Amino acid sequence: MGLLPFEKRWLVSVITCLIPSGASERLPEGAADLPLERFIDDLLAHAPLKFLLGLRACLWVVSLAPCVVLGRLRLFHQLGDEEQLQLLTRFKDSDAYLVREMPLLFKMVGCLAYGGHPRIQARLALEPRDETPPDWARTASQRAPETPGGDS
Amino acid sequence: MSVADLDAPASPAGMFGLRDVAERALVEDSADVIVIGSGAAGATSARVLSAAGLEVIVLEEGSVLSAPRSDMYTSFKHHWRDMGLQAAEGRAFTPLLQGRVVGGTTVMNGAIIHRLPEPIYDGWAAEHAVNRSFSYAELERVFDALDRELMVGPAPDAVFGENNRLMQLGVERIGATGNRIQRSVSGCRGSAHCNQGCPTRRKQSMDVSFIPRALEAGARLYYQCRAERVRAKRSRAEAVEGRFVDPVTRARGPRFRFHARRAIVVCASAIQTPGLLAASGVGRRSRLLGERLQAHPGTGVVGVFDAPVKMSFGATQGYESKHFWHERMKFEAVGMPLEFAAARLPGIGPALMQELASFDHLAIWGVQIRAEAQGQVRRGLFGGTSVHYDLTDADVERLKLGVSRLIQMMFAAGAREVLPGVHGLPERISSPDQAAPLAALPSDPRRFHCIAAHLFGTAKLGLSPHSSVVDLQGQVHDSPGLYVMDSSIFPTNLGVNPQHSISALAWLLSERLAERKAP
Ligand SMILES: Cc1cc2nc3c(=O)[nH]c(=O)nc-3n(C[C@H](O)[C@H](O)[C@H](O)COP(=O)(O)OP(=O)(O)OC[C@H]3O[C@@H](n4cnc5c(N)ncnc54)[C@H](O)[C@@H]3O)c2cc1C
Ligand code: SF4
Repeated sequence: MGLLPFEKRWLVSVITCLIPSGASERLPEGAADLPLERFIDDLLAHAPLKFLLGLRACLWVVSLAPCVVLGRLRLFHQLGDEEQLQLLTRFKDSDAYLVREMPLLFKMVGCLAYGGHPRIQARLALEPRDETPPDWARTASQRAPETPGGDS
Repeated sequence: MSVADLDAPASPAGMFGLRDVAERALVEDSADVIVIGSGAAGATSARVLSAAGLEVIVLEEGSVLSAPRSDMYTSFKHHWRDMGLQAAEGRAFTPLLQGRVVGGTTVMNGAIIHRLPEPIYDGWAAEHAVNRSFSYAELERVFDALDRELMVGPAPDAVFGENNRLMQLGVERIGATGNRIQRSVSGCRGSAHCNQGCPTRRKQSMDVSFIPRALEAGARLYYQCRAERVRAKRSRAEAVEGRFVDPVTRARGPRFRFHARRAIVVCASAIQTPGLLAASGVGRRSRLLGERLQAHPGTGVVGVFDAPVKMSFGATQGYESKHFWHERMKFEAVGMPLEFAAARLPGIGPALMQELASFDHLAIWGVQIRAEAQGQVRRGLFGGTSVHYDLTDADVERLKLGVSRLIQMMFAAGAREVLPGVHGLPERISSPDQAAPLAALPSDPRRFHCIAAHLFGTAKLGLSPHSSVVDLQGQVHDSPGLYVMDSSIFPTNLGVNPQHSISALAWLLSERLAERKAP
């Protein structure tokens, strides 16, 4: 199951709000500094259907939430940084389990991309780390084709 | 086609994957015994049966881990079931972590070794008659052999690491006892990468220990090879059918049919085994197939220390406390990869970035409980399996107590702050008394983030076909020639990490199988 191009943009905006650029001296890069769309494409191509259905449902809820939560007639990605963060914080602190799990789900997805990139691991001096970025983070010419039956 | 027709396979010697058979219409082969699954149970069974001179074929749905990478996403995608996104549903979602790779979950586990606790064996003997099949002394003989073969020993000083050392300090300072973890590793480099697959292949997971030994003794292993059902002839299990499928690209290869002259041994894990038996139309008489799923759900607490902890160095899991085992809880240090730890941190946005920037200063320790809850494994709506599992109130009370003990240990070890990860407590606390409200919180599993990695009981063994799925030799009551030897057959959970017990039972039952006369 894929996401429509606008849904992908929504997802990118949620993840970049959770993992912003320029928020820490030691970690100046955020999720937006990585090829996040390629990561999302890879995830969508490989994750189980049930997970993707849940992800999509949460994405719609968060995207449409500004109207209900903040009284703003906008979609999530149309909000400013502050308001986006405010909205996700309200979700995170909610007493309703499913609501507070939503930012966690997006954070988990974003951190899989962010925390696994050797550039980020190098900033944190994590060893050992991979010499090459993961497949999704390589340019098309660097990427090995996915051959059925290959080892890994 | 039989394996003899395969010319110069590109896979490791004795192993055949999709690319080796892609051009064939049907793959056929035969052996004395077919083992389904190559994890703790399957690899051990293959190791024992092939050493006993039987011709063995092992089937594994996953691929071969050839070049481990450090990033969790790649590991999830290639080597974990459902990319690590499988979860049980109850009031809360509980991720169920399992490997899907040659070597099974042992490839990404913490290499922690424990023997089946004697009180658990006694309970199994009293209530499930296991003493009529094997004594504790027989188990000990096998544990000794396993210890030798899997090079079991404590995490050495040089790679103990600060996360483990601090936990030792915390445990001792609250007046509890603990110990260095016995691990199945030879020459650990302390890379704290056990969950991604050991980069230096020091961990004695099944892919580097029992699988190669079984292959040396003549076994063959088909990977990317998914068993779908067991076929019977004159009511005796005699063949396994399925299809070669690339688990990552989902590309479908040929179908296969493998014939077993003597027995078929299912070791597909407590989640997959019941589905395989159900699809084969066997094991349902007692109505217990897929029922009684038990686990050791666990959760972690993060401590922030002034001095660097560097969780990324050291034995991934090197220290534990069983001091409160009689209260059904066990504590372990957990050197988590950045990606796991990040998702566990409370912050979002700039706060998360600050937390990540101080990753060096974080320690993570976990509590796992011997839960009373029993769940069910069923066929899922979208194919695959659907798992229902919900902690009981008593289980949640244990979790609360366990987390409060972890918080005490963290502060006792000198943590500046603790991030308890419990909804209803502050995200960060700077003294143990700030955790006091924990005791009064409702017994609701949704307040915690638990995972379950130890799974048992969905095809329980026992004497009677009315109250168990397999007999005391692991043979499915209504299917002669079909055996189950993984943790599905365990009557209960254990309260300790199960790999060694799973291997020990598979070893013993495989010895028995090898001694049985051919039909
Ligand atoms: C993160 C993590 C850490 C852990 N740490 C420890 C630890 O330190 N110590 C410990 O004792 N335990 C640990 N465990 C648990 C332990 O690894 C498992 O309990 C044990 O490996 C289970 O053994 P098994 O043989 O039943 O299943 P597995 O080891 O999971 O093997 C089952 C295999 O069968 C294959 N399979 C399933 N269905 C089919 C099919 N239809 N056709 C073909 N193949 C199939 C699967 O792909 C899999 O490879 C950990 C688990 C996890 C997830
Ligand atoms: S800590 Fe590192 S070197 Fe040691 S067994 Fe685990 S992965 Fe291998």
